[in-house]
Amino acid sequence: MTAFDYWSITRGALSTISLSLASIVLGVPLGLALALIRWARVPVLDRAVYSYVSIVRSCPTVTLTLLIFFALPQFGLSLDPVPAAIVALTISTSAFNCEVWRSALIEFPRDQYDAALSFAMPRLTRMRRIVLPQVWRASLPGLVNEMTLQIKSTPAVAVIGIVEITRAALRVGSNTYEPLPPFVFALVLYGVIVYVLLRVQRSIESRMRQGEAA
Amino acid sequence: MPSRFTSRFTSRFTSSFTAVTAIATRPHASARRAVVLTLFAALAASSLGLGFAKPAHAAGADDIKARGYLTVATEDDFKPFEFVDDGKPTGYDNEMLALVKKKLPVEVRQQIMPWPGILPGVTTGKYDMAVTAVLVTPERKNTFDFTTPLVESTTYYATKKGSSIKSGDDLVGKVVGVQTGSAMLADLKAYDEALKKKHGGQGIKQIVEYQSYPEAYQDLGVGRLDAVANTQINLNSLIKTRPDNFALGQALGQPVYIAWAVKKGNTAALQMINAVLFDLRKSGEMYAMQKKWFGASFESMPQSIN
Repeated sequence: MTAFDYWSITRGALSTISLSLASIVLGVPLGLALALIRWARVPVLDRAVYSYVSIVRSCPTVTLTLLIFFALPQFGLSLDPVPAAIVALTISTSAFNCEVWRSALIEFPRDQYDAALSFAMPRLTRMRRIVLPQVWRASLPGLVNEMTLQIKSTPAVAVIGIVEITRAALRVGSNTYEPLPPFVFALVLYGVIVYVLLRVQRSIESRMRQGEAA
Repeated sequence: MPSRFTSRFTSRFTSSFTAVTAIATRPHASARRAVVLTLFAALAASSLGLGFAKPAHAAGADDIKARGYLTVATEDDFKPFEFVDDGKPTGYDNEMLALVKKKLPVEVRQQIMPWPGILPGVTTGKYDMAVTAVLVTPERKNTFDFTTPLVESTTYYATKKGSSIKSGDDLVGKVVGVQTGSAMLADLKAYDEALKKKHGGQGIKQIVEYQSYPEAYQDLGVGRLDAVANTQINLNSLIKTRPDNFALGQALGQPVYIAWAVKKGNTAALQMINAVLFDLRKSGEMYAMQKKWFGASFESMPQSIN
């Protein structure tokens, strides 16, 4: 493996990171929105969200990616690989995130909500000051868990020509016929990315604990 | 390929809590909240739609000229036809495309992607043409129109050096790898049928289908496969890089042709490219390129194979 091969796999890591980040930044709030729709039992919409989450959770990311990239042009909607990959990854992660948020919302104690009501706290303040901080704390481990899975499901979008870590490693291996070094290097990169993510989670959690103690 | 597990902690968790929801916490779901949430969801959804601007490509000659470009899809791991070296796409097809680009009246927009996406991309109109080694088969002719052939090819098998397989008949009871959805797979299956007729029902033990060839070669190298079926030129290129590991076997099929493919009826793109390819055949530039990449030239190929 030449220095350039290492560089090309590292560049693959940049696209893994940016695609994961984009889908997480879009998918986490989208998941919260979906979970709130179900929590609030918004008529019609909550059935729609229920179906959306069930369908997306049963659909492999590869299949979803192929569908968005190749089937949509037949309806006059042709996406380039990068937006198509972001849409596919976001759709997929939002469904899983919805369930993480929802599990925390279900656990949220109702008496606190009623107490806030009795102080005549406005709806948005109630959400922002009472519900979301606690729901966020309870959801964080699940959300980060989903993020690590999300990072590892990015190779799925290689089918539409995105060169992320695994694809870059495959390319190197198919040129040198030596698959081991590129794949070991790829694993190291995945390890580093997930490690950084877990450090961020730990520092957020310890700051939350400090906030509680104060 | 990675796929998600459905029974993950989230789904397992929530299902055990749904019963609780029914009796306990139920905040007041007012109509106004519904409106706010709908807006939020709609906003989130529309923010995903940023890339949704371009119409699908499917164009006639005038449309292509007016548009000013052709879209093509190329593979990245099919040596010696197309592969990535030091980050740059190269190989026979990429160098031929570079020659074509010089003489083409319109620009060429190339996208590089794995094989499974290429032909679907052409049939769905995502790309005008597959600029990759597409073996011309009768079945594919129903769906695609082909340019003038770029090279001639025959399906062969390769083994590890010093293998006990000396002729095609020795493949009986052996495990053979081949690329999924490829013409070589069809050739191998037909050969298997012929073997079964000849040897009283005994044929190849197992045909293993791969996404792409590097994995198959790796499995041949470590002994999971007894042979790999691919085109003669591809196998020659493999053996040239690894003369100590692999050896070429015998032919499994009839000579066939490799060409670039457009969706059936997309004559505008086809004629535009063909005009240039005919020039390159006449000037001998195509044959020089074949010599460079395959070690042989194929000047007796037919002009048209549709």
